[in-house]
Amino acid sequence: MNKSIILSFTVLFFILCVQHTQGQEKYEKESRINAKLVPQRAIEFIDSLGIDRKIKWYSEIGLKNKSIEAKFKLNGKRYSVEFETNGIIQDVEIEIKLQELSSRLRQSINSQLSQICSSHKISKIQIQHSGNRSLLLSFLNKKTTKDSITTRYELVSKCKKNKKVELFEYLFSNEAKLLKTSKIIFKSSSNLEY
Amino acid sequence: MNIKIFTLSILFFSLLFANTIAGQTTSQFGTLPSINLNKSLKKSWSVNFKIESRQLFQQKDFEYVQTDLSLIAAKKVGLNSRVAYGHLVRFRGDALIHRMIQQYVIVQKMTNYRLAHRFASDQTFSLNESPEFRFRYRLTSQIPLNGQSADTKELYLKINNELLNKIQSSTYEMEIRIVPLLGYTIRDNSKVEIGLDYRLSSFLTSTKKNNFWMAFNWYIEI
Repeated sequence: MNKSIILSFTVLFFILCVQHTQGQEKYEKESRINAKLVPQRAIEFIDSLGIDRKIKWYSEIGLKNKSIEAKFKLNGKRYSVEFETNGIIQDVEIEIKLQELSSRLRQSINSQLSQICSSHKISKIQIQHSGNRSLLLSFLNKKTTKDSITTRYELVSKCKKNKKVELFEYLFSNEAKLLKTSKIIFKSSSNLEY
Repeated sequence: MNIKIFTLSILFFSLLFANTIAGQTTSQFGTLPSINLNKSLKKSWSVNFKIESRQLFQQKDFEYVQTDLSLIAAKKVGLNSRVAYGHLVRFRGDALIHRMIQQYVIVQKMTNYRLAHRFASDQTFSLNESPEFRFRYRLTSQIPLNGQSADTKELYLKINNELLNKIQSSTYEMEIRIVPLLGYTIRDNSKVEIGLDYRLSSFLTSTKKNNFWMAFNWYIEI
């Protein structure tokens, strides 16, 4: 009895090991880096915002691109500023609450998500500003309005469709036009479950 | 409050609490290596196969105690939650012990760390002992030591804190487990962890038992 059980489990173990292959995976790695490794242009941009809180710098490596990101809190909001590796600004993302969106935008986004999903729940919203470096700086220092820069909204939402619940990232324009949809792939959590 | 400080505080106070209620104790030391294979299947199903061995350190020598083999089938029931049912077979000397396992796990992704709540029950049967029924809750936190997620070739801290309620022959017992582990993500589908698996049991009835296991875990996604 014991031998047959051990044999069965051992056979199963080896079958699983033999099948052990690496599939196609979305590759994205974010690592904390020292400010000394950050390009001067990026440091200067952040310095000109006059932030007195701690700035955390990260290197983000995707399959096709590499970027540098500064994360910090300002006026109770989480900021994420992304740069190219040479220090050229890409965008500034600020986490906001759903209620902070204008009712017109909120209704339009909700209505579009209702058409895509049988039910949905927005869990995170970031307002994304991009554009010319000096205009972005003027806007962030409250010297100009957001009319001079490009503003988009990045949303993370649960979406139930065909009885399947998945997490998506949606990018909307300032006019609530859906620009991009990306499915969020979860990292394995088997080491947290077993 | 910084999550790392918060988690380390929980660990510290748990160890302090465990030490306070320990009183008269017996202690055991040993090793607890395990290999964990996880395979995703179609339609949100997955299977987990685990082999875990236990060796006791006694009189300056390691003594083999037992080997567990378990197979668990799990079904994703929500975005971050899974129900699972499985069977564990324990080989201890000539004895063969069977355990049925049921669990529900929910994993939460926070900005800088991950939290998992595991609610589980199991029923253990063997020829030599009365059936044992356990109801368990485990809180696990995984905190990356670099960046906001434990990516490839990065270290992380994992802390399990589990409370087990046991009923055997109408006797109720409780066990507390505190498991701080240092983990390393070798690849997206492979992680190794090393640390202490501390278990305090029998503190409600007779002599308290302290078990200190050096844990080595290897998790592989197939």
